[in-house]
Amino acid sequence: MSAPLARPASEPSSTRTNAPPAKRVLRDVVPVAAAAAAFVLIWQLVVLVGSYPEFILPGPLVVAARFVSGWTEGVIGPHFLTTLSEVLLGLALGGVAGIVTGILLARSRLAARMLSPYIVAAQATPILALAPLIALWFGTGLASRMLICALICFFPIAVGTMVGIRSVDPRLVELGRSLRATRWQRLGRIEVPSALPQILGGLRIGVTLAVVGAIVAEWAGGDQGLGVLINLSRGSMFDIPLMFATLFTIALLGVALYLMVVAIERRLVRTRT
Amino acid sequence: MHRHSFRSPLLTSLIAAAVMTLSVGALAATAAEPADEREAPDRTELMVGLGFIPSVQFAQFYLAEEAGYYEDAGLDVTFQNKIDPELITLLAQGSVDVGMADGTSLIPAVSQGIPVVYGATIYSRFPNVVFAPSSAGVGAVADLAGKSVGIPGRYGSSWIMLQALLASAGMSLDDVEVVTYPDFGQGVAVAQGQVDAATGFVNNEPIQLEREGVKVDILRVDDVAPLPGPGLVVGTRTLEAKTDALRAFTKATLRAMEDIAADPQLGLDATFARVPELAGDPETQLAILEATIDAWMGEHALGQGLGGVDRDAWQSALDIMTALPDSVVASPITVDQLITDALQP
Repeated sequence: MSAPLARPASEPSSTRTNAPPAKRVLRDVVPVAAAAAAFVLIWQLVVLVGSYPEFILPGPLVVAARFVSGWTEGVIGPHFLTTLSEVLLGLALGGVAGIVTGILLARSRLAARMLSPYIVAAQATPILALAPLIALWFGTGLASRMLICALICFFPIAVGTMVGIRSVDPRLVELGRSLRATRWQRLGRIEVPSALPQILGGLRIGVTLAVVGAIVAEWAGGDQGLGVLINLSRGSMFDIPLMFATLFTIALLGVALYLMVVAIERRLVRTRT
Repeated sequence: MHRHSFRSPLLTSLIAAAVMTLSVGALAATAAEPADEREAPDRTELMVGLGFIPSVQFAQFYLAEEAGYYEDAGLDVTFQNKIDPELITLLAQGSVDVGMADGTSLIPAVSQGIPVVYGATIYSRFPNVVFAPSSAGVGAVADLAGKSVGIPGRYGSSWIMLQALLASAGMSLDDVEVVTYPDFGQGVAVAQGQVDAATGFVNNEPIQLEREGVKVDILRVDDVAPLPGPGLVVGTRTLEAKTDALRAFTKATLRAMEDIAADPQLGLDATFARVPELAGDPETQLAILEATIDAWMGEHALGQGLGGVDRDAWQSALDIMTALPDSVVASPITVDQLITDALQP
């Protein structure tokens, strides 16, 4: 009689996602919720023990109340929509440019030698220094803010794509050639799908950077947006709880977009496996 | 065999949350040190917050320091340059003992419960104005209709002033095209014709434009709707702890202002001693100083003397700012909550 097969050392992903719902909640949600609760508790304790006034460090309940009133009174909403549109448009532009550039860098040694130094130099230059120049050249409208977002998220997406395309198993590409697939067919049906984990990994980083880019762009010139609201709440209204509520909104936006990319990644990559 | 542990990720998350929060708390703690009355052997130390950058506009402080007025009053003064919103918070914390700020900052701050008060007027005329080349045809507020106006941002004294100015002529922001210049380049924008008019300080941008040979029209808000100009602001806790020192500081500063009004060269010399870089263009600095002195000498100052606080103007300003659309007056406050007489010599 043959011995039973040993279970692999690491569980395949299908086993993790097929766990009972209660176990998934316990594993995925409870630690995050517990950490958040601990953070809020410690924050409140710091405020109480330090007797900090609201204009220095408002407590979590004060910030939560201002967050709610900020949304229900229509203070945060319009600014949120402006920032969201800048992020999504910038991400689309930066994402497309990043993927195309990444493929070019992966497939052309000449392009890689020519472009790499300038791409790295652009990434190394702080966006905080570039943003005012871009606003000066292109105005303070949506176009310049979208460009700033695109610039900041371009690099991780381009690098992720380049690494992913270069990591494709050459035997798969050779198989495609042997089946007479055209270059575009090999790219679209073999190389890009194989490189998806790396491309989406770059997109995960890019999406959070795009939020940073939008805020910096609004500081360089803008009439609306969460970055503008931070300046308004701090410098004009002296409403520090609103400033904290705006920061919390920005963080939520970044987390939501990140989780969206994770969900897309799970769907696309799981479909492949 | 891989063992799933519920405790490990939870414990890690809790530790991370604790470290994060304690870091935030430590940062806040170091930023919010209380101001104790520190006595040098003979003199009381005062940290004085002035505007964004060293300028001949602060000549009275430089002269009072150079001429020994502060030392004679038993004070050891240190100057610090901060932008208005940061200064208000630092004054309330006690990190800065006395600073310069105007009603457009003080009124929203006090309405939010930030413990600061205004003790003495420096600028009897509101220095933030709308200016335009005479060729733009902006001789009156009504002429702004349909024009483009450059502004640093939709916040602060210039934003409030612009709205009050427009409201005085029955206009609103919808009647003008507002163009923001976050790098404070609106003066250059006017010179280059990018905008028809701009906000700026009467002792800065219009002076620069006129020295380039451009004739300038100026619209002053205090011709139509009085707003309290910058003056000496203190935190209420600091006021309690250092009343005598702050009153002495006020007296010494007002004395320097009188000296400069009588002889502007004294202000220039003290400024150049303090900020040698400004001595490269003494003519421009003199023009700025003369415009500054003019802003000190408004109707109330000429009638009541330098430093006095015009409570009627403050009440009017409070009413104007409360009535503005998107008012920054968060809760009802009174003039008594905004002003103290404790600094008056």
